[in-house]
Amino acid sequence: MNKILLGLVLGAILGAIDGMTAWFTPAVRAQLAGIIVGSTIKGIIAGVLIGVFARKVHSLALGIVFGLGVGLILAFIVAQMQHGYYFEIMLPGGMVGLIVGYATQRYGRVSQLQQT
Amino acid sequence: MSLTPQGGNFPLTRHSVVLAAQSNDPAVRSRAIDAIAAAYWKPVYKYVRMKWNISTDDAADFTQEFFTRLLEKEFLDSYDSAKGRLRTFLRTCADHLFMKQMRDANRLKRGAGCAHLALDFEEAERELAAVTAAESPEDSFDKEWMRSLFALGLERLRAGCESEGKLIHFALFERYDLNDADPKPSYAQLASEFGLAATDVTNYLAFARREFRRCVLDQLRDMTATDEEFRREAQALLGVETR
Amino acid sequence: MKRLSDSVVARLQADMQVPDLTGTRYAVVRYLARGGMGSVWLAEDTILKRRVALKVLDLVAPAADLPARLLQEARILASLEHPGIVPVHDAGTLADGRAFYCMKYVEGQTLAQYIAERNLTDRLRLLERIAEPLDFAHARGIIHRDLKPENIMIGAFGEVLVMDWGLAKAGAPGLRSGENGSARGSILGTAGYMSPEQARGDAEVDHRTDIFSLGAILWFLLKGAPPTDQPAVTATVPRPLAAVCRKAMAADPSMRYQSAGALAADVAHYLNGAPVRAYRESLLERAARIYARHRTAVVLVAVYLLMRLLFILFAHR
Repeated sequence: MNKILLGLVLGAILGAIDGMTAWFTPAVRAQLAGIIVGSTIKGIIAGVLIGVFARKVHSLALGIVFGLGVGLILAFIVAQMQHGYYFEIMLPGGMVGLIVGYATQRYGRVSQLQQT
Repeated sequence: MSLTPQGGNFPLTRHSVVLAAQSNDPAVRSRAIDAIAAAYWKPVYKYVRMKWNISTDDAADFTQEFFTRLLEKEFLDSYDSAKGRLRTFLRTCADHLFMKQMRDANRLKRGAGCAHLALDFEEAERELAAVTAAESPEDSFDKEWMRSLFALGLERLRAGCESEGKLIHFALFERYDLNDADPKPSYAQLASEFGLAATDVTNYLAFARREFRRCVLDQLRDMTATDEEFRREAQALLGVETR
Repeated sequence: MKRLSDSVVARLQADMQVPDLTGTRYAVVRYLARGGMGSVWLAEDTILKRRVALKVLDLVAPAADLPARLLQEARILASLEHPGIVPVHDAGTLADGRAFYCMKYVEGQTLAQYIAERNLTDRLRLLERIAEPLDFAHARGIIHRDLKPENIMIGAFGEVLVMDWGLAKAGAPGLRSGENGSARGSILGTAGYMSPEQARGDAEVDHRTDIFSLGAILWFLLKGAPPTDQPAVTATVPRPLAAVCRKAMAADPSMRYQSAGALAADVAHYLNGAPVRAYRESLLERAARIYARHRTAVVLVAVYLLMRLLFILFAHR
């Protein structure tokens, strides 16, 4: 799987899981569907950005740092929109970014076009 | 250029001293036994001295008697080169003769009319003093055999160089390759000592070494009965293993 | 003539073996090693001013067919232009009548010396590079027949070279072994690394005899010694690799890997954490292998899930 597609798929899956965990917070359970969709979109955006970065920069360390950074920034924006829950939103968001950053560098295939 | 017309080619059949020693013609046999004795008397003498711990006089008498019996065709008629090497055969014969003499209680009779060989036992005795205690009689026998072959090869080389007017080649070889001194003289030193160009020293030494190799192998050929024995003895002489 | 001392006798004995290079472009530098058919000497090519190795038959060859065999070895090497096979520059007969050939001088270590200071992964990676020239030779119908650690050199720049093709058997026209060369039905090779069919003296051994030897070399890479019997699982040899050795060293050639590359590929699978063809793993072993292969990813996901769990627990307090 190429790096952008891998980032997109991983970002979507982890974003969706991230959103689903809101079910355990009774205060926001009513908005669960919106949270899942929003979290998935956030995951997809992060995944694509990280995948594009991984395609340009071939460095595991930089990929992880970039993933962490993108995850934190997007989570911060979401937390701003929620007016709170910074820790509960940013820590998992950063973690998801880090995992996607690692995975795209480690498992994403370099395209034939890039190799030549 | 080779000192002998045969060069390095090994003839398919040959009349080695081993075959000559089995001849019925006493003159041919005597010459052959002389040649065998030249190569083997020291190995035999030192071997019995070391193995049986007998006196120098007894060992000298034994050695004379051993080669006299060879001349009388007592041993060599039973020698079959297909069954083993001459070197091993002679050593075994020496053992058998010694045991027989012990059994007969007639051991080592001195001066039994067999002193037809002029052998320098005093020299052999001096050499024996230098043998280390760790060396077995069998190892000593093989080592002396090799030393004798090289010495006989050197004699051939000297004779060849003399007849070809190349004594300077031999003298250089003697000075450089047969010299125990440490450090050895350099080629430049040899060049000035012998009044030669340094390149001549290199070439002359190369010639002498090449001829020495050939002389030793010719000597070995003479002392073996078959190609197979020659090859095996040459491998032993050169200290190389084969698979 | 005065008695020759022991040191002079030893020197003369050594001198006897020095090849006579009169009339050639080479000058002897020093003795290097003994090969299967003779000795190998370091020499200087006086024209090109470079060091070369000369393989020279012994002064008195133990068998009459050795000059022909040495020439055949040189021809086989010359026909195998591969980075893993030492190139031959020249061949002929010296002034002293000895056959010789001249090849590239490889400065390096034998396999045994090299692996002494390497970890398992480095050692296993060598196998692929030993297999490459073998596959190359097999594709040209040439079988080595004497593969063993002593015949593998690792050059100064890490290049791996398969040496000593003196027992090689060629099927190609012009290189085909004569009846006296690699005599049909004769037992040639080195115990411990020799296939059963070669040890029996079977007339028609094929390239799979080299696969057997390569399996034995794999065992040597793992244990530092040739296998004495069928490779068994030990505490220091992982089960999949022992299975690879067993498959490569199967008594029946048809049960072995059918090419050196296939054997090397299975070892590469092991190194990459992929399943090995020669070994059927249990579920637990498979899980352990996958974990070992993706350790960081598994840990990251586990940390993430743990963090989520902690959030849920704290949210309910």
